[in-house]
Amino acid sequence: VQPPEKPLQAEEWNRLRESFQSPEIFEEVMFNSMVRCNSPIDVAKSLLTHVAKNNGDIAYNLLLKYLALCVQQGQTSEIRDMYDIMKIRFRILESGAYNLLIKGLCNSDQWRMGLTLLEEVKKIMIPSRTNYESCIKAASRHQEMNLAFELYHEMLSKDLVPTLDVLQAFFDFSRGMKDAELQKELFGVLLYLRENQIYPHKTFMRSIKLWFESMPGGNWRGHLTNIKDSGQCPVCNHQLEDSDLTEEEYNNLRERIIRDVIHGTDTFRKTSPQEFEAFQTFVENRLPFDIVIDGLNVSHIKPRRMQCENLFDAVNCLAKENARLLVLGRKHMLINSSNWKREVMKEMQNKADFFFAENISEDDAFLLYATLRSGKHCKFVTRDFLRDHKACLSDSLTRHLFRKWQPIYHVNSKKMFLSLFIQQPAFSYDCVVQTTGDTWHIPYKDSFEEKYSYEVPRKWLCIQQQ
Amino acid sequence: MQSANVLLKKIVRSSVLPFAAQHGMKKDLFPLSRTLSLSLCLKQDNSSGPSEKLDLDAWKKVMKSGLQDEVSETVSEHKELSTLAAAREILEMWRLAGRSVPENISEEQLKTFMECPSKSAKKKYLKYLHLKELYKKNDKRKMDEKRERKQEAQKQASETDETKRSSLVCLWANAMDKAYSWRAAQAMIFGQPLVFDMSYEKDMSVREVANTVRQIVLSEGCNRRSVDPFHVHFCNLKDDSLYHKEFIKHYREAWGKLLITATDQCYTDIFPKDKLVYLTADSPKVMKTFDHNKIYIVGSMVDKSIKTGVSLARAKRLGLETAALPLEKYLLWNSGAKNLTLDQMMHILLTLKDTGDWKKALEFVPKRKYCGFVSKPVHELKKTLNLINTLKLGKRQEEVRRQFAKNYSKKLMQK
Repeated sequence: VQPPEKPLQAEEWNRLRESFQSPEIFEEVMFNSMVRCNSPIDVAKSLLTHVAKNNGDIAYNLLLKYLALCVQQGQTSEIRDMYDIMKIRFRILESGAYNLLIKGLCNSDQWRMGLTLLEEVKKIMIPSRTNYESCIKAASRHQEMNLAFELYHEMLSKDLVPTLDVLQAFFDFSRGMKDAELQKELFGVLLYLRENQIYPHKTFMRSIKLWFESMPGGNWRGHLTNIKDSGQCPVCNHQLEDSDLTEEEYNNLRERIIRDVIHGTDTFRKTSPQEFEAFQTFVENRLPFDIVIDGLNVSHIKPRRMQCENLFDAVNCLAKENARLLVLGRKHMLINSSNWKREVMKEMQNKADFFFAENISEDDAFLLYATLRSGKHCKFVTRDFLRDHKACLSDSLTRHLFRKWQPIYHVNSKKMFLSLFIQQPAFSYDCVVQTTGDTWHIPYKDSFEEKYSYEVPRKWLCIQQQ
Repeated sequence: MQSANVLLKKIVRSSVLPFAAQHGMKKDLFPLSRTLSLSLCLKQDNSSGPSEKLDLDAWKKVMKSGLQDEVSETVSEHKELSTLAAAREILEMWRLAGRSVPENISEEQLKTFMECPSKSAKKKYLKYLHLKELYKKNDKRKMDEKRERKQEAQKQASETDETKRSSLVCLWANAMDKAYSWRAAQAMIFGQPLVFDMSYEKDMSVREVANTVRQIVLSEGCNRRSVDPFHVHFCNLKDDSLYHKEFIKHYREAWGKLLITATDQCYTDIFPKDKLVYLTADSPKVMKTFDHNKIYIVGSMVDKSIKTGVSLARAKRLGLETAALPLEKYLLWNSGAKNLTLDQMMHILLTLKDTGDWKKALEFVPKRKYCGFVSKPVHELKKTLNLINTLKLGKRQEEVRRQFAKNYSKKLMQK
């Protein structure tokens, strides 16, 4: 339905309504298309007048849609009127109306009214993060940074995740302000990025840079750069933080993986207690390994070759460096078949230790265990991203540890024509926001869109105090 | 007005008329010209004078008027709202705003709603209640219509009163019930046991348990009506478990008279271990034939969140033999999980028991899950395809084979 361009008289609305195929939802459909086409509010008003005269009342959903139209066009006085009307008409309002009202008012000069509405929402439910977002942005826009940060902390205490826009607003609107307290808060925001492994996008990064540089008397200078593979910043020659897990983190992770991934709710789901025990003694007797190979996964690298040949190449290639290898497989590999030749298997067993799990057991869990048990130097070879195992971990902290641990020891083998294994250079530095007090290093994403979660940004913002 | 008419005439003469004449639609012309003239009038009115100006804010007066006295009353009430009542009010407002929210909600449901851990969980629960309410309403409406039709039919029948005579007294339902019970009783003595394992309560949500019991009730019904029923065992069924409560809700007083064996013992205590076969979709072994001497176990579990290997783990722990239905061997699987509902399992097992015909039995797999039946064993299919390709393309057999494997491996090849 195309909404009319000018306000219509009652009988004209009637006529339109009758020509519409299902008259009972005519008003709703008309309002929807008005919102979509951003029609002038006079047209919407004339329809409301028509409805009010006919029915003596206007349904709540129509009022909401009219309100949405007003918010879309920033009609502040209308929004206030709507609030009065809705308050008179209904005992309480629901979240949709409050969302619109708060958004509409916060974008106007009556933003304080938006704050009082936020208080009203708190009485009946937990406000949404967009509610907070509107209020925080409005407060920062009017340079009330203390208020903005108060709301921000309140939001965090309610487990709401702020959008990047909110964080960016802090930096945008405190440019050039000299206030030690405020500075501390903004550093706090940067540390929030660090703790949650959030990477700012390019425009956000620019806001951060400008804020640093505008700090009166701070003498901060920012440069965009790429960090060397060694982990050294080419601008300030500062060495970035090591990506290794600490001893405590490492042990913690190992215990969690044994508890959550291998045992989980029921040890029998992935293996059986007898088998796990046998594997444990097997590993303990042969520790430590340098490389653990996921046999089945590696054997599928080239689908046109025999599976044992693939594995054989991999073992040969890795065995050259005099490393202690462990290959995990399943019992069916031992049965002579078209894909698994007994002679090849025998030869491989001279070069590496093999453990064969039951055919219905999951070998990935064993892979993790053997690698973690061998110590920090041990790598594993698989193309699997182990997402399902990551999902088994119970808390987000351990999941972060797992993620931090994984890319380093994860030797990614690429499918090449002849050379089987190409080790992707793993980063030796930790890719998070980091500071030494007089320098800040902030990784950022080039575009706003989310990259793959396992990819880390390569571009950095280096900020140093002169 | 006059100028408008002139204009209209012009328009009609110049464009519409030839078109209409061409297609022979003189009837349609009239309404068209009428709307045209109207819109032209409107434009003129607006430009000539504001005599009929709209009061755009009239609706505000309507909304504000006549409600003042009511307001003062509600405000005082407003303060002492309990959390439950407040939630109820918010739901009402959501309903007015056009969200999927049920019209009526019980105290118990409201509490469940409040206990939902997240916003999306709340939304989902409300939608579920809303749909349930809609279905109920529809059913009721249909029932009413049916009753009306029946009454009308009776009225007509009584007018044309005519008694029919037959040798059988019309007691179909009752008689059938007796016959079914007789068969089920026989099955309890001589029938092949079929075990439902009721030990998955802690792996399921309350709603999943309710669904499970519903499916079991359906299975029990179709077992009772079959020619040669199973002797159904509900094993590991604890008193006062959720399963038990749901059963009572479904069967009421009939629960005590049900011709099945319900026990809190494990099947391993009742039957010899070597005769038990645990049916699970995760099993590496595929069932070839239905064995009349085995005792099949079905896990009573509805698994909405995907928890693979739960029932396989149970069988592993007890050291039981496992089996999966040969779905891939007989069906070209399309989409969907391979775990079937309990009543589908019952239908399949009953058909297998009676006929041993896999094709007939697997008719009970939902049609959306597969594209069709495999008419020949897969390797034979592959052979003929190979042969055709070799004849067609001569030497490039190897390449063709690979191509085939690539295209069809997902659909046809078995592990």
